[in-house]
Parts: sequence; C-alpha cells; structure tokens
Amino acid sequence: MNNLLECRNLSKSFGSVKALNKVNLSIGQGRIVGLLGPNASGKSTFIKICNDLLTPTGGEIRIAGKKPGIETKKIVSYLPERSYLNDWMKVSDIIAFFQDFYSDFNRDKAYDMLKSLGIGKKDRLKTMSKGTKEKVQLILVMSREAQLYLLDEPIGGVDPAARDYILDTIISNYSENATVILSTHLIADIEKILDDVIFLREGQVALTGTVDQIREESGKSVDSLFREVFKC
Amino acid sequence: MSWELKSDRPIYTQLIEQLELRICSGIYPPGSRMPSVRDLAREASVNPNTMQRALTRLEEDGLLHTSRTSGRFVTEDINLINQTRNKLAQEQVRIFLKGMSDLGFENSEILSILTDTVKEWSI
Amino acid sequence: MLGKLIRHEIKSTARIFLPLYAVLLVFALLNRYLNPLQVFDSSGTPNLESMLKGISISLYVILIIAVFVLTLVIVIQRFYKNLLGDEGYLMFTLPVKAWQHILSKFLTAVIWYFMTAASVVISVMILIGADKLFDFLPQLIQMIREAFGSSGPVVLPAFILSQMAAGTLMIYSSMALGHLFQKNRLMYSFAMYCALYAAYQIILAILILLLGNNLFESLLQSAAPTPAQLNSLFGMLAAVAVLMAVVHFVLINHILTRKLNLE
Repeated sequence: MNNLLECRNLSKSFGSVKALNKVNLSIGQGRIVGLLGPNASGKSTFIKICNDLLTPTGGEIRIAGKKPGIETKKIVSYLPERSYLNDWMKVSDIIAFFQDFYSDFNRDKAYDMLKSLGIGKKDRLKTMSKGTKEKVQLILVMSREAQLYLLDEPIGGVDPAARDYILDTIISNYSENATVILSTHLIADIEKILDDVIFLREGQVALTGTVDQIREESGKSVDSLFREVFKC
Repeated sequence: MSWELKSDRPIYTQLIEQLELRICSGIYPPGSRMPSVRDLAREASVNPNTMQRALTRLEEDGLLHTSRTSGRFVTEDINLINQTRNKLAQEQVRIFLKGMSDLGFENSEILSILTDTVKEWSI
Repeated sequence: MLGKLIRHEIKSTARIFLPLYAVLLVFALLNRYLNPLQVFDSSGTPNLESMLKGISISLYVILIIAVFVLTLVIVIQRFYKNLLGDEGYLMFTLPVKAWQHILSKFLTAVIWYFMTAASVVISVMILIGADKLFDFLPQLIQMIREAFGSSGPVVLPAFILSQMAAGTLMIYSSMALGHLFQKNRLMYSFAMYCALYAAYQIILAILILLLGNNLFESLLQSAAPTPAQLNSLFGMLAAVAVLMAVVHFVLINHILTRKLNLE
C-alpha cells in the first residue's frame, strides 16, 4: 500500500448507533486534509480509531500499512479535543515525558516555540489559562517529527488571534512529507491551508476533493459548498 | 502588501497573480532571492503545497529560477518582468472596462471620464 | 518502556507520598518529645498537660490511619484519572502496550504499599525508640517460626504479595468494568467492586468447602493449629489470590485494548 492512511468499509457502532458506516478513504503523504462535518458526523470517532483509542466494529484501517497499535503510535502525533496535561507538572516535566516516550520528539524546537509564547521551563501547567494550555499541547504535538498529525478540532472555540497562531504553528512545523489531518466544523477559517477535504455526514463520506478543484468546479468556496451540502 | 485571497476562486491561481504582482511592483526585485516556500506559505496563511505549485508555475514561466544550492531567485530578465507587468495592467483595465460597461457607459464616455480623472489626479 | 512508565509513575505519586510520610515522621517525633505514653501511666487528675498529650497521641493514630487510607485512594485515583480520565488520551497514544500500563500502575502501587508500611514502622520506632522495637522483633520472629515452621519465610511473604495483587487488581478491574458503561462510570465501578468482592468470597467459600474441609475441622477443634495446617491454609489462600489476580489482569488488559472508550 502506497498510501499513508487507507481504510475500507470502516465501521464503528455504539450499541445501535452507527458512528461510522462503511468509510472508504485513501490519504497520501505530504497532504493537509480537512475532515469536515457537522457535530456527531463521526469525525472524532474516525480520529480515535486512527489512534487506537477505539476498536472498529467492522472493516479495516491501515496507517503506513499497519493496524493502529504500537508501531503506528510511533509515527502518529495526536491532538485530542480535550486537555490531557497533568496539572501538577511543570513545563520541563511534560517536555521530559514526551522526550522519554517519543523518539521523534524535538525538544529544542518545543522549547523555542514555548519561549516565543513567553512560557518558561519552570512554569506550572496549573497556573496557565485554558487557551495557553491548548497552545502548549499543540506545541508538544507539532514538535514531533511525525509522519501523520491527527488534530481533532484544533481551532474549536478559540479567538481569531489564537486561531491564526494555531494555523501558523501547524503550517510552519509539520515535518516534510508528513500528512496533517484536521477535523473541524469551522471551514471558512482553514480552507486556505487545506489540500484536500473530506466531508463526513452521519458516519459516511459525503464528498472528497481538493480545495482548488472544488473552487474551480463549483465557483464557490468550500465553506459555501459545505453549507449547501449540509443545509438543514 | 497583504495577501488578498478571495474565497470563490482557486487559491493556486490567486497565488500566481499575487506573486506576479509582487515581482512586478519590486517587492521581490529582479535577481533577488525569494523567501522559502514555508515562509511564503506562512505569510499568506496558505498550504505550503499550494504555494509550491504556484512557485513552480512561475518557474515554468521564467519569472523565477532555482539554483540547486542556494535557493530560488527572481529573474534578472527585465523584459520578461515588463511583459508580465503589461499583462497584469491589461487585466486591470479589462476589469475596469467590464465594471464601466456594467454601469452603462459607452467606450467614448469611458475615455473622456478617464482623461478627466487622470488630469484631476495629476494636479 | 515499562521501566520508563514506572519511573514516571513513581515521579507522579512521590510528590504526594513523600510529604505525607514526612508529616507522619515529624508528628511521631513531636509525640516522642511530648512523651504522651506517660498519659497512660499517670493515674492522677487530668490537667492541661495530659489533655494535650492525649490529643497529640490521638492525632498520631488518626494520621496513621489517614496514611493507609490515602495510599489506597492514590492507587485508585492514579488508575482512574491517569488511564480512564482525560489523561488517558495521552497515556493510550504512547507507543506502549496496555499490559505495560497496568503493570506499571500495579508495581508502583506495591512499592508504595511497602513504603507506607515502612514509614509507619519507622514512625513507631521514633515514637517508642528503636531499641524497644528491636527487643520486640525477635519475639515476633519466634512467634512466626513456631506457628509456621521452617516454611514461614516463604509462605508469609507469598501470602502478603498475593493479597496485594488480588486486592489491587480487583480494584482496577472494577474500574475497567465500570468504564464499559456510558454514564455514571464511577457509580458502576463501585457496584462492580461489590460484585467482584462478593464473587471472590463465594469462590473462596466453595474452595474451602471442597478442599479444606478437614483442615478447618481440625482448626476449629484444636486450639493451636499445626505449622503444616497453617502453611496449607495460607498457601491455598495465596494460590487463589494469584489466580484471581491473573484473571483480573487478563480482563483489564482485554478491556483496555479492545473496549476502551474514553469520554
């Protein structure tokens, strides 16, 4: 398999609810991919399956040819929707933690980025605001030289300045030939940085394409197309 | 100059236009070294792949050239830059004319308005 | 990776345990200085001094109980919060197997069980003086030797370790099972613990009825059990506990790898 991420008939049910229903996708290297869809369309479920945090109930998924597990976790850098930082830690503790467990973690890069936000080694996570913690988490995730970055709602609920910072950090730090998949329902804000988009609806792929292709063919922004496709 | 990208046209074509504009207006002077793809992408808040494609296109057109060791440079061919400049000028004029004809002006009227406005400007 | 996990786990817990032990030891020292054991000697009328001493020794006893309770609370909380709470998003995306997570939590818990026991013993030593304790120690060893015979040094530690393993893994297991529910996970975890505990007791009762019948008859009849009887009883309890621990370990591992569903 040449593709970095490939899934066939991938399904996940919670009881009688089908969160993902026979999803087929192929994503290559070196792309920035937007995983778009309204709330509860299966975006988070998909990302969690890629991270081995959920086990699919049907179909299969391969990342760099392997099932989600230890080998894929070494090359996948994940930003969940919520804060997973241990509050008692100092910045230097969490950096040491990442350094310990991820061989692709670039400590100096992380410290540089933190420094430019005015965050020092001795700072405690407990004293930081929610927004700062989110940025710290993003810095940790982007300081890995991973092959696949999975970012779940990285710009959900942040102000425009923070959003610019986040997008800027993603564009300037993902490693060469790596692929970035980011899920969001705020399309207008990010469509300029995307290569491809995947629309999910009720657990199924509703549409895929490149941003420029969509703009060329429909004469509209991806955002307005999205609004049409998901019109209530 | 800020990067102005409209949301209803392909980003790639808009980046080409914006880069041409920057070369013609001397922001990237002839023979100068271009910023890296990542820096340009970050500046314009666009995908680096798209920026790369736009730059490749300008290389094909001859406005940029890549030296294997030291990066990407603006052409020193002033003629080529002037041609591009004329091309951009014609596009601007076409947009202007389209707008005027939408307002219902005849070509002769447009010309007289234009000459009058230019006179006022130069005072 | 297991070593790194354990090191990190110790680091995360030491910041609570070490100050806790320090408080206990300081308090023991304080009590020794006040020498409150005299409270029991003095038959005279209570005065402010003896009251202070009484309060101080009561606080010390409460503190010892608190240290034991807190040890358990932290062991529970580390598993629940670090693996099944939000921090689980970080832990389960590390390139580490689920069994390594379980084992690192468990081994760290055992380390703290011993540290807690040691710190309580040391605090007692501080309180009554090390020499008195060392006088008492040979007597204790003698008692154990008489009761268990020569196999005591093997059977007793095996018994203690197996009980720690079964007890701790049963707690983890009930939290993992509680995690299978969509809502009220904490409540379900508690219910699961009650159910697992009851099941454990029933299994023990059945085994005792089946295997240990004559053992218990003789235990009930004769006032002092023979070393052989005691050894086989404790040995059996240890074996059952080890079996339960293994079953729970496999169950937890299955849930964390196949049924994980972080909120």
